[in-house]
Amino acid sequence: MFKFFSSTSIYSLIHKLINFINSIFFLILIIGLTFALVLSPPDYIQGDSVRIMYVHVPAAWLGLACFAFITFLSIFNFVFKIRNFYFINKSIAPIGLLFTCLAIVTGSLWGQPTWGTWWVWDARLTSMFVLMLFYVFYISAFKLLDKEETIVKVSSTIAIIGSINLPIIKYSVEWWTTLHQPASIKIAGSSSVHPAMLLPLLVMLLVFLLYGALIFLMKYKTEIIRIKKKNIKRI
Amino acid sequence: MIIEFIKMNGYGLYVWLSFSIVLFSCAVFYLKTKKTLRKYENDFLVELQKLSVEEKNKALGNSKVAQQILAANSKMN
Repeated sequence: MFKFFSSTSIYSLIHKLINFINSIFFLILIIGLTFALVLSPPDYIQGDSVRIMYVHVPAAWLGLACFAFITFLSIFNFVFKIRNFYFINKSIAPIGLLFTCLAIVTGSLWGQPTWGTWWVWDARLTSMFVLMLFYVFYISAFKLLDKEETIVKVSSTIAIIGSINLPIIKYSVEWWTTLHQPASIKIAGSSSVHPAMLLPLLVMLLVFLLYGALIFLMKYKTEIIRIKKKNIKRI
Repeated sequence: MIIEFIKMNGYGLYVWLSFSIVLFSCAVFYLKTKKTLRKYENDFLVELQKLSVEEKNKALGNSKVAQQILAANSKMN
């Protein structure tokens, strides 16, 4: 069933995917930046500062999505012991940390002109900061521990505990009074974002997704080579 | 008109700084990841060269990954 997940069968696919993403990435990035910085209209209240949304929101969404994915694979790995999931998680975590840090920094840069402050310890911002800390702990487990079995146990525990924070981030703006605005885009239900702003946001989300996929594939490829190198005499 | 575009009605500093930080961080992270990948590919090839002819042929015969790393390296050179 899980033969598809063998490193050998995945390796050639990774190579093709990296080439494919490299060939289309810059075109989509230019389109996304043109929409975000030139074509999209300023907001009637926030003015041009709303353009920060086009980097802040995709970064935040993907920071959350990466951690949710890591948690899901950690639980799956705990049950089925699929070694490749360990490498997938190890490759995804730095991308999630990068996106979470970017969401926090760009959010701070958006907060100053909008709220008049760079940072406030409200529920949404604090819970995002906690997510960043969980990513740091998670990555530290890979860096500081030696035995793979111990790393799997420790990192999975961190991921499962950290996943409690995910619904807190999502619903923090509804459960508590925060400076941060409630969600404008909902999976179920209508979006309050005008299509003229929604389209650039979706294009920038695609840019971030492609970038994340590219980094993940490169990191995963590195992991496969590292393992093959370690076992070169046993190949 | 270009000045107005850069100033963005007084929000230019925040907008340009946000986009610059994102692009710069992503570019640095991409280059660092690419460099690490190249390093591991080269290290793998060095290890492969250290093997005896028999071991090397066996490794190349049994591992598609080894074949592909070697092929990719030949293309680059």
